[in-house]
Amino acid sequence: MLKVENLNVYYGGIHALKGVSLNINKGEIVTIIGSNGAGKSTLLNTISGFLKYKEGTISYKEEKLPINPNKVVKLGICQVPEGRLVFANLTVEDNLMLGAYLRKDTKKIKEDLEKVYTLFPRLKERERQMAGTLSGGEQQMLAMGRGLMSDPELMLLDEPSLGLAPLLVQTVFDIILDIRKMDKTILLVEQNAYKALSIADRAYVLEQGRIKMEGSAKEIAENPLVQEAYLGAKV
Amino acid sequence: MTQFLQQLINGLSIGSVYALMAVGYSLVYSIMNFSNFAHGGVIMLGAYFGYYYLTAAGLPFPAAFIGAALTTCLLAVIIERGAYKPLRERKAPFLYFIISAMGTSIFLENMVIATIGPTFRSYPEVLSRTPIQIGSVSVGRLDLTMFFISAICLALLVFFIDHTKMGKAIQATAYNIKASALMGINTDLVIIVVFALGGFFAGIAGVLFGMKYTVYPQIGIITNKSFIAAVFGGLGSLPGAVIGSILLGIIETITSGYFSSQYRDLIAFVLLIAVLVFKPSGLMGKVTEDKA
Repeated sequence: MLKVENLNVYYGGIHALKGVSLNINKGEIVTIIGSNGAGKSTLLNTISGFLKYKEGTISYKEEKLPINPNKVVKLGICQVPEGRLVFANLTVEDNLMLGAYLRKDTKKIKEDLEKVYTLFPRLKERERQMAGTLSGGEQQMLAMGRGLMSDPELMLLDEPSLGLAPLLVQTVFDIILDIRKMDKTILLVEQNAYKALSIADRAYVLEQGRIKMEGSAKEIAENPLVQEAYLGAKV
Repeated sequence: MTQFLQQLINGLSIGSVYALMAVGYSLVYSIMNFSNFAHGGVIMLGAYFGYYYLTAAGLPFPAAFIGAALTTCLLAVIIERGAYKPLRERKAPFLYFIISAMGTSIFLENMVIATIGPTFRSYPEVLSRTPIQIGSVSVGRLDLTMFFISAICLALLVFFIDHTKMGKAIQATAYNIKASALMGINTDLVIIVVFALGGFFAGIAGVLFGMKYTVYPQIGIITNKSFIAAVFGGLGSLPGAVIGSILLGIIETITSGYFSSQYRDLIAFVLLIAVLVFKPSGLMGKVTEDKA
């Protein structure tokens, strides 16, 4: 579905992605694990059309992906950004409706709004509240709900569990599995490698801008080097 | 009491026109985080366009009025495309935007001096100068017109911002430009719309001020006060800009009425400094690190 080949991205004078290649098939959950500064967010922002690149290609459904955020959204790829970035100055409902900004199918939007409220009953309760008054966990749900409102085929999730209490972390991962059931493909970027590998089908390990390893999530989780570096196991 | 009411009404009338100009500063600031000092130049040109549409082109007042607003609307967008977009594309620091804005402002002022000349021009008498008597208070027709036109414009703006899709997109972009782009919002278009709105209101304010005072190349100086009002109310906040402007208008007229009009501007600037010292984000402003 999404195919990245030999991608090189320079970001603020730094060679942030060095020949990254990866592919995502329809219906998969693919995770990219790696430490801070490995280039995970850079990769997502490049796919989303925020960063220009000189070498490499990103293609989506066999076609080159435009380097323009709103065109990427229109094609059905939506990113739920790190730090959630909900519109604190707008209500929960306004936030969700902004997710559907490019859509014109009013009836389907209403249905999707109901689906999001079913998935996140807390958001329904707080429909008229300003998003800034929500807790961190609720804001993460809002950010994911807002992403769903664009009716994407591929969702890019950037550190959805970052900064959340352990109990909520589990909830977020359960929700990701629910979202997959809604016929979405997911690219998940996480520092919580253990959790990410437990729900993913396949995984890539990104280190200093390079793909170091790739394989099924199970293989990667069992790899001693990964266990030492990312899963906290002593080898 | 009568005198107080009289001054209050004058203050509301002046303040509402300040508000029309201040929302232009605030809208741009809320999205792009810089103070668009070229706005004063656009207001000044609005006054000139209105004047020439009325006199040289001989248009009826409403047509000249709307024409001036549409012209400055276009002008503001051209300024954005020419002076700011190239900087945005290069991700230039905010300081460069201000320098570009100041340069544009100086350019516009001098262009008018060089082509039209520095002389003062007064609008033909569109409205009768005889005041309307309401009880013991007499109100100038122009003051009343200024107030109502400004109030209608501001109400339309509030409706647009709160109840249309583009309005929501403006609010979202003001909060976070990246997240807005992730929603599929064309943030470049949002910026154009914001400049167009500011430019449209600048034309209206320019014509109203041209009618109230006269038209001259430095009329933009007056717009500094609407900028003060925007900072006073909290740059980036629309209600803040309106409240700040109305307060400034009232404080000015009360000062001129009870003390002396020479103290008017002194008070305005002291007020700005005091607000910046005690509440740097203004009365209702969003908290930001750099106020540029």
